Amino acid sequence: MNFSFLSPYFLIGFAAVALPVIAHLISRKSGMKKQFPAVRFLAASRGDSAARSRLRDLLLLLLRALIVVLVVLVFARPSTFSFVPIGEEGPRTVAVVIDNSFSMEYDGNFEKAKEKALDIIEALPDGSFGLTAPLVGDDNTGPEPTNDTGELKSDVKDIKLSASFTDNEKKLEEIYGALSGAPGTDKEVLFITDLQNNGWRDGYAEKEWLIIIDVSEEAAPSNRAVSALRSELIGDEYKLTARVSNFSESAAEDLLAELRLGGEETKGFFDIAPADSEVRDFVIPQDRITEEGTLTGSAEIKHDRLEIDDVRYLAVSGGEKFSVLIVDGDPREDARLSETYYLSGAVETVSELSGARVSVKDNDSFLKEEPTEYDLIFLANAGDIGPKTSTELENFVKRGGTLVIFPGERIRSSSYNALLGNLLPGEMVSVREGDFGISSEGTGMFPQDVRDKLDGVKVRRFLDIIPAEGSDVLLTLDGGKPFLAARSIGRGSVFLFTTTADASWSDFPITPVFLPVVKTFIDGSGYSNAKIRNFTVGDSVSLDIPSGVRGVEVSDPNGEIFTIDLGNPVLEDTGVPGIYTVNVNGTELYKLAVNVDPRESNLEKISIESTDGEKTEGNMVKVFKEIWRYFLWGALVLFLTESVARAAFS
Amino acid sequence: MSHGILDIETALRLKRFSFRTPNRVRGRKAGIHKSYYKGISPDFMEYKEYNRGDELRQVDWRLYGRHDRLYVRKFEDEVNLNWCILIDRSASMSYGDNENTKLEHAKRLAATLAYLLLKQGDAVGAGSFTEDGLELIPPRPGNTFITPIVEKLESVTPSGGTGFTTPLMKALETFRADAAFVIISDFFTDEEEIEKGLQMLKAAGKNTALFHVLHPDEYEFGFRGSVEFEDMETEEKIIVDTGAVRNTYIKRIREFMDRLRRVCHEYEARYVFSPTSKPIEESLIEIADK
Repeated sequence: MNFSFLSPYFLIGFAAVALPVIAHLISRKSGMKKQFPAVRFLAASRGDSAARSRLRDLLLLLLRALIVVLVVLVFARPSTFSFVPIGEEGPRTVAVVIDNSFSMEYDGNFEKAKEKALDIIEALPDGSFGLTAPLVGDDNTGPEPTNDTGELKSDVKDIKLSASFTDNEKKLEEIYGALSGAPGTDKEVLFITDLQNNGWRDGYAEKEWLIIIDVSEEAAPSNRAVSALRSELIGDEYKLTARVSNFSESAAEDLLAELRLGGEETKGFFDIAPADSEVRDFVIPQDRITEEGTLTGSAEIKHDRLEIDDVRYLAVSGGEKFSVLIVDGDPREDARLSETYYLSGAVETVSELSGARVSVKDNDSFLKEEPTEYDLIFLANAGDIGPKTSTELENFVKRGGTLVIFPGERIRSSSYNALLGNLLPGEMVSVREGDFGISSEGTGMFPQDVRDKLDGVKVRRFLDIIPAEGSDVLLTLDGGKPFLAARSIGRGSVFLFTTTADASWSDFPITPVFLPVVKTFIDGSGYSNAKIRNFTVGDSVSLDIPSGVRGVEVSDPNGEIFTIDLGNPVLEDTGVPGIYTVNVNGTELYKLAVNVDPRESNLEKISIESTDGEKTEGNMVKVFKEIWRYFLWGALVLFLTESVARAAFS
Repeated sequence: MSHGILDIETALRLKRFSFRTPNRVRGRKAGIHKSYYKGISPDFMEYKEYNRGDELRQVDWRLYGRHDRLYVRKFEDEVNLNWCILIDRSASMSYGDNENTKLEHAKRLAATLAYLLLKQGDAVGAGSFTEDGLELIPPRPGNTFITPIVEKLESVTPSGGTGFTTPLMKALETFRADAAFVIISDFFTDEEEIEKGLQMLKAAGKNTALFHVLHPDEYEFGFRGSVEFEDMETEEKIIVDTGAVRNTYIKRIREFMDRLRRVCHEYEARYVFSPTSKPIEESLIEIADK
């Protein structure tokens, strides 16, 4: 914090401090002179009180001198100031973006960011245009640029913390784009953030228009969070599995966690090493469950400075588990070399959120399985498919299951075409080699941010297919060859990738886009979605509504009621973590659990050159905050004190 | 005749009062004081059995008729007395308001008392003293003697410090016969010296009365703020916060007055507190017969 005076020439008034000193010395030296006969009695009396009198005089002198000092300071207009990156040379066009992701709740960083934003707006030169926007929000474009600073300030005050998670870079580019309509050539985005690493999904790329202002004060913030919670009915007992993560540089010892399910509660302690997590199972007998309808539960740890992720909620569907089967056609002793190493990792990660049960089996075991026990099946380089299995897979899809097929060295195209011809989205032709990228055009299955990242995937080998009638090519390789094709059969769907699930044909499984693509299959399955009861904040939830109902309402954890359009039964307002209740015709149908994204709990900071508003002056402008009022109050208080002291002493 | 310091009105109001000493005295002339010797005053004193030589006219024949024995009646003798009125003329006595300094108050007190004493037939001598010496006119009776006394008192000007023993010794040389001493002062001197002086007077058989003259400033201390005080006798200077020392000062001055009273009581002297704000009539009444 820097300190300065806006009217420093008034500091010459400090000379006035001499006035009470001189008055004090004069009064001590002469005072009123008086001839008196009984001085000897005075001398004896004075001895007792002389020291006390001197002390009182000095105290009064000190008070009076301080009053003068404070009054002089008031006139000199003391101010604190900081540097903010605003052009000094004239009107500018800036977007002030406040990181309102829930990690900003830590240590009051969100309020600091809003104060910093207000300072910046206050310091904007006349004629400047600006806009303010939250990093996380529904409105992707944000407000229009304006030169009304009052409106900008009002917008800042309206920004609220969000429990959602977003991609910083993408959002900032959108906001920068929103400045395009504003006047001026130099346009800047001032991003006020805590520099949380997880916000930069693909790392940080420096941009000349982006200035990052770090408001966090700790270099290594510490946080503990309940990062996963799921339940499983085993026999007559519910097994609650909780993962607690320690995102700090110190160990978490004897960290108390309280777990609840269906009205029953249990407790346990976690001992977690620094930057690690611990998974523990807790058992609750089914006969002790008192809750009716959808079972709900939670896991909560002792609160720290970021409270929102210290609790995690759970909703258990009516017994049936969403099940995923991964068939590994080329299992290896070293799991990292297996066909499904990346695929199973991605599915298990997503299943932690969805509560799905994941099974990984080799080709032989799969042939003995009953596919209808599963909701989603991945066939990865599964070479042996018998007639019986092909029939079971067809029934599985027709009943609403989702089948995802990855090719591989072990697959014989002729055998697949013959046995699974009724299912495959395209006829398998031959394997081709080359250097291909993926085009994201032509499909709405994947969100735009997922499609954008597909551009970075490099394919070296692919299985050429001829799309079947009625199938859709969702993704294509450069040159138009299909990369992913889909076909709807009955109530289910079949997806066919033309490259392997491992990294031998392409780098698709090791790119950041692989996980969201896999998640899309799980989330996109209408059959599976009907049974998923656990979501992440910001998710669009397709509601499982029986036919014939007249009205559907959903109440969120705050008690707010949302009416659902029966034509498109999707709940969009999932911004608050907690338990949601779906009511049909006024009666509870089931419950949902919505949780914060556990990635936001890791407060690790990214190494980005940033400014905290104090260190540099280049391209900065001083923002002053006048504090003379405090000195005025101080002077008044001292004045009253001096009056009281003077009256008491006399 | 100028009697500026003589308060005639007060003197007239006090003319029915008399000022007597409690002891018998050896006066030469008729007066109002009981004589050391038996005399012919109308006041009966005692009966005494007749002896040869007693005057027959003093025999009480009625008593002889009842008891058949001769008794003679003895009567008091009343004589006059010499008074020595001394006022302190040290510099400290000049403190006070314009026309009401302690010295002026002392002069009025002394002149008025002298007038009353002369009126009752006593001989009065008056003077002033400092630590350095004594200026005194010897005692003489007669109303006309008031003029030189007043002139003497009027001529007194303040200077020097307060002394007690030395001037008293000189006064005792002048008043060797029975006499009464009236000392008017602020007594701002060494307390042991005061005690020694009173002891000396008692040893000499003198009746003594002390008029303690103070200005209200000296015992109420009504000053405000920070004041530089200069001692009127020693010229010692001292700066004090009057508010801070007031209570302690008043306590100390009262302790001094109490000690003075005790010393007077011990040496059978009368103590009269006579501040300048108090009419001299009230002060004089305190030593008069009522």
